[in-house]
Amino acid sequence: MDPSRPPNISDMKGVYWPGCGRGLQPEEMAIGRGRGLLFPTEAPGIGQARGFPPTDANSPGQEVTPLPTEPGVGEAKGLFVKPYDFRGGRARGFLLPPAEPKAGMARGSILQTLEPQPGPQPPETVTLETSGSDAAMRGMPIHGQASTLLSMFRGMGIESSMFSIGRGAPLVGRGASGDKGDVKLQGASARAISTPENTGQSGFMMGRGSSFLGQSLSPQMMVGIGRAAMSPLGVRGGPAAIPSFPSDNVKSVPQTPEAQTALHSPPSQAEPVATTKDATKLSAVMPPTTELQMEAVQLPPNKAGTQGAPISIGSNHIPIRCKNEAVYQYHITFTPNVELMSMRFGMMKEHRTTTGEVVAFDGSILYLPVKLDNVVIVKSLRKTDNEEIQIKIQMTKILPPNSDLCISFYNVVLRRVMKIIGLKLVGRNHYDPESAVILGKHGLQVWPGYSTSIRRTDGGLYLCVDVSHKVLRTHSVLDVMNTTYQQSKENFQDECTKELVGCIVITRYNNRTYRIDAIDWNKSPKDTFTLMDGTTVTFMEYYSKNYGITIKEMGQPLLIHRPKERSKPGGKQIITGEILLVPELSFMTGIPEKMRKDFKAMKDLTMHINVSTEQHTQSINELLKNISTNPESLKELSRWGLEIGSDILVMKGRTLPLETICLRSSSFATGADVSWSREIVRDASISSIPLNIWAVFYPRRCAEVAEELITTFNKVAGPIGVRLQRPIRIELRDDRTETYVKTIHAQLTSEPNLQLVVCILVGNRDDLYSAVKKLCCVKNPIPSQAINARTISNPQKLRSVAQKILLQMNCKLGGELWTVNVPLKHLMVVGVDVHHDTSKVHQSVMGFVASVNSSLTRWYSRVTFQTPSEELINGFRVCFLAALQKYYEVNHCLPEKIVVYRDGVSDGQLKMVEQYEIPQLIKCFETFANYEPKLVFIVVQKRISTTLYSYAANSFGTPPPGTVLDHTLTQKDWVDFYLMAHQSRQGCGLPTHYISLYNTANLTPDHLQRLTFKMCHLYWNWPGTIRVPAPCKYAHKLAYLCGQYLHSEPVIQLADKLFFL
Amino acid sequence: MDPVFNPPLHRQRHQFVLDFVKKNKPKKVVDLGCSDCTLLKKLKFHREIELLAGVDINGATVKKKMRALAPMSTDYLQPTYDQLRVELYQGSVTQRDARLRGFDLVTCIELIEHLTLADVELFSAVVFGYMTPKAVIISTPNSEFNALFPGVTGFRHSDHKFEWTRAEFRSWAMKVCLDHDYEVEFTGVGKASPGQQESIGFCSQIGVFHRLGLRDSCNTALADSGDDVCSYTLLHSINYPTLRDNNTMRRVLVSEVLYWAEKLKNRWMEEMTFGLTESEQCMEEMEEMQTACGGKEMTTEVEQCDEVLDLSESHRCVSIPLAVLWSSCPKVCALSGSLTNLRHILMDNPEIKLNQDGSAVLVQYQEDDRDTEEVDVDLDDSGFAETRRFSHPAEQEDWDAEAAAAL
Repeated sequence: MDPSRPPNISDMKGVYWPGCGRGLQPEEMAIGRGRGLLFPTEAPGIGQARGFPPTDANSPGQEVTPLPTEPGVGEAKGLFVKPYDFRGGRARGFLLPPAEPKAGMARGSILQTLEPQPGPQPPETVTLETSGSDAAMRGMPIHGQASTLLSMFRGMGIESSMFSIGRGAPLVGRGASGDKGDVKLQGASARAISTPENTGQSGFMMGRGSSFLGQSLSPQMMVGIGRAAMSPLGVRGGPAAIPSFPSDNVKSVPQTPEAQTALHSPPSQAEPVATTKDATKLSAVMPPTTELQMEAVQLPPNKAGTQGAPISIGSNHIPIRCKNEAVYQYHITFTPNVELMSMRFGMMKEHRTTTGEVVAFDGSILYLPVKLDNVVIVKSLRKTDNEEIQIKIQMTKILPPNSDLCISFYNVVLRRVMKIIGLKLVGRNHYDPESAVILGKHGLQVWPGYSTSIRRTDGGLYLCVDVSHKVLRTHSVLDVMNTTYQQSKENFQDECTKELVGCIVITRYNNRTYRIDAIDWNKSPKDTFTLMDGTTVTFMEYYSKNYGITIKEMGQPLLIHRPKERSKPGGKQIITGEILLVPELSFMTGIPEKMRKDFKAMKDLTMHINVSTEQHTQSINELLKNISTNPESLKELSRWGLEIGSDILVMKGRTLPLETICLRSSSFATGADVSWSREIVRDASISSIPLNIWAVFYPRRCAEVAEELITTFNKVAGPIGVRLQRPIRIELRDDRTETYVKTIHAQLTSEPNLQLVVCILVGNRDDLYSAVKKLCCVKNPIPSQAINARTISNPQKLRSVAQKILLQMNCKLGGELWTVNVPLKHLMVVGVDVHHDTSKVHQSVMGFVASVNSSLTRWYSRVTFQTPSEELINGFRVCFLAALQKYYEVNHCLPEKIVVYRDGVSDGQLKMVEQYEIPQLIKCFETFANYEPKLVFIVVQKRISTTLYSYAANSFGTPPPGTVLDHTLTQKDWVDFYLMAHQSRQGCGLPTHYISLYNTANLTPDHLQRLTFKMCHLYWNWPGTIRVPAPCKYAHKLAYLCGQYLHSEPVIQLADKLFFL
Repeated sequence: MDPVFNPPLHRQRHQFVLDFVKKNKPKKVVDLGCSDCTLLKKLKFHREIELLAGVDINGATVKKKMRALAPMSTDYLQPTYDQLRVELYQGSVTQRDARLRGFDLVTCIELIEHLTLADVELFSAVVFGYMTPKAVIISTPNSEFNALFPGVTGFRHSDHKFEWTRAEFRSWAMKVCLDHDYEVEFTGVGKASPGQQESIGFCSQIGVFHRLGLRDSCNTALADSGDDVCSYTLLHSINYPTLRDNNTMRRVLVSEVLYWAEKLKNRWMEEMTFGLTESEQCMEEMEEMQTACGGKEMTTEVEQCDEVLDLSESHRCVSIPLAVLWSSCPKVCALSGSLTNLRHILMDNPEIKLNQDGSAVLVQYQEDDRDTEEVDVDLDDSGFAETRRFSHPAEQEDWDAEAAAAL
């Protein structure tokens, strides 16, 4: 952008502000990155170079930009997207006039942060003033607009400064503010009206806001802070400042005192401030032509265990060979600055003769498979005003071809390859509709396909192929609505909402997927909407004109999709507001909710979806063949020098030793199938609660089965060790929900000593189940057992079912079934999982379960609901403290070692958990005097695309339970491992990924792996191993019950029982 | 600054073609100089077109975006009767290719100005003389309009070999018509300001050519020059799924029949269950179901058939008369056309079981054995196999000590 022209923002509407802010972010990003990238050049000379990679983390926008930044940030996806958005807001700031007082305040704050750095303060002060006043001068004409924006910044700034100043646990506070800042930014459009006073403050706030950002991302160094704080000011001073090369900048300050350079100065001064004086000299002296070296590969932490028997295992990974020697990273500077991304792309396109045809460019960083001169300068003409733009292409890095930075554009290449071989993109994966399996009976089609990605793990670069199936409905949403209408006319709208909201639909006219967020019953295809160019058109006309589609049903309502606010790549247009879809033109994807409950229908479906190891490997090989036999796809890959191997990866894994299950007076080793269903019904459980007063409720037509069940209970109770009195039997008049609830309630009132409520229900009735559970878990706390009449209707199975239910009832009453020996004293194991409501109607629930005795047989459970204003962690702390207190009550001491298994964390959130959640937990310990237990924090990831096979005699099979893999496919920054604890009954071996984020207990990889395997033995609802550690599964069950049925916290009286089983 | 057109001029040119297509409903359309297939992408939605072709001299540009011409996911879910084949060629419009003869519409949007005048001659001969389509749309810049572009001194694009005035374009077009027996009308898109429209004309001038003497069958016209040259390279061809394809039609019909049969069966079963209960809502729901099924007679019909059936394999089946299916499901009705046809199609389909005289579909009726969500295991107690109950030498482990030692 030309600094002499006032920023042209007059044509933008107020509504778009947040989006615009973000839209421009690449600009800002360029700064963060530019500087970060640059540092390796200087690194040899500067002692503090370590501080810089984190600054790079300033631009962690994997989700938005196609290019990741530094290796260290690779994991940052989810979390840092937030601060990223936030930064976007800052980027917007350069359009604004910061008034004088602001500059002053900004200075103050930055000085504060820089205090530990002696020396460099004075120059900084000077530059700040310059930029402030100068910007203020220039900013006058657009003052009106500015206030709007500034109020946004104020929002951010206040929030962040509240958190980021002076915390005992600094990392934590900073992380928090990142989130808060984002929240405010989202809401910024709402508070668009602001007063001049706000304007006065905002500069300061911005300074704070950004400096906090620097902190949150680069905790080690004040250096990072100082620079981060400066950058927004620099940008504000003049958009021309995309100051990437310190040598450049340092020179420019003394040499050219003209306006534009002055605007450059804050960031350039910030550089020397950030480093030492020596470094300043050095960078000034050092010519930018320093020979770049290939980046060194970091060594991963030690994560290899040794225990167990070696086994050959395969995985759905195919090695990728990079034939290119290196990938070259360049920084692109446009002078004068070009703001518009599309224009930047366009200009770079004109220079393909220089760069070659193979490029990956995100607007400021360019990757090429070829080496250019260190600095190349080309020129382009800006078509809008015929201004000549100088484009400087400066090499910043030589990357090994398997560098993390390359992964994202390799994945772009891969997506193209998938298209070339004729697969259709639905959602994120590719499918083959030609080979669809049609389930006519259910109105479904199952499309076979693949979910593919190129990833870099400890073993190198791999193509990860997962066999995926897409379930699609052959009937349009309108058809579904019609069917619903026929079934329930009076509740039609409610039923429809229930069935449709949360579903993902695809449309007739494009290949996009939309999530239905609501239904607009007041609209129809005859209604109008406004096109981009401002004209209004009815839906009917629009589809007819653009797609030749005639909408037949004019009375249908419209579906509402509310996209997440984000800008399109390039930052030009913002997707805001609602998208309305016509049911007739939309098709639902995914398994219908109704069908999920239909056991038989699911069997029809899973038959096609759950593939055996053999089918799995076959499909992968087929894909590999399709890629390798298609010359076009090979050509696409070779552009970046990629060559996909021809064989599935085979490596050495281990099978962990079998565990011994302990009952009350007997113990036994598990067999190869890790199932002990027979043993537990023959010998007494560890402890049983005698059932003296209990009641069975059943509708009249179930009288017979109820009686049978009670008789069978008595027969099987002996060996299990349960003492059982005859229950109170209550026959219900009818099976209406109201009748159940009233009768149970009456019984509870008349018999206050009742220990357990057993309900026999007919059919899958969610409302009834929910009502009974609400009564027994919230209103009148009492353990309750619901039994579907169908389960006990088969006389042949009754015995085993009764045994199972009896065990389950015993757990709910507080009995203990079995355990395994864990050779760690004073241990507490915690499981955490989060339940999200798919329809987004209800809040997310976090389930929390902690062991409170040494044999890990007594569990304390809590839930916490996530309110929009409150982060999950607050609830986490409350639960954690309560569990510690409970542990103390039981053991008269606090646990010395605490192992937390945390489920429900995606890769992108790992950093947040590490920097924010864990310190908060540690802070809990301060509540108790002189209490410093050891903490191990392990993230549990079930939904991963890694599959393991056993490999023997040239064929792949399902790996045995206890198979562990702790190398090759592991991630480079963490101590992590894959463990398949369960017996895979159908389909292939899906391991669970465990990442140890924190380990002050010094548990070795062997211990971590075996402890985890042991914990997978302790889920009492299943006499065998399960996929995740038992506390996670318990936490999941609990969160599901509360989120799905209770919609509120269960009463505290039940907290020490597994009432949710 | 340039005069700014809203919508953009290139879109207006495409809209002109789309409007023409909508009005004249050509079945076979070819876009010469299709470049990155932008126009084709829009045309593919006009399903009255059965064959859509694109030709460009630059194969790479075509390939870049050609995947976007593939059928939508939903085209596989609900195929229509419309059929569409897309063919993309790399080749020069100055050369003949027999595969491009006999089209209903040929579009050349902003193409001819990229040819040398000599090539334009060849082009005219190929398009009008050899391909002999029923209609041709040709658009090219109007050089008179360039006066309104202050920045433009030469041509609008560096690759343009010429830009014609209205008169030049007209004279070329008239000659073409004379030579090849076409008639032409002139129009354009991109209007100048009202005062200048007369003197300057449209920004893009368009000639719409119609072949004369269409009453003669076009085959005779084709037969004249019977040499079968194939000078173009076929880059890509796609067939859209269509119900006119017999296999697709059967597949869709069968799955539709299965779906409705299942639905009718479920309704009937629900009814039976409700018959047993003393639910108060029972009557209400019965009524509803009857209306839903399209009348009382039908419900009884389904019921009656069940009595007949108790198959030998002890598989209880519900029989659903084809007539009921045919009448209650409009889609089955539309797909099959007649009841006899429906029976005929279903008869030799392995997925569908008909009763002996082929008058009804048999749907298995099973007690579904759902498990409570409470009971995770389905314990199989039969065959109490010998247990592996050996005492495991439980080595005494102490991880605490190990961890301490590791420090």
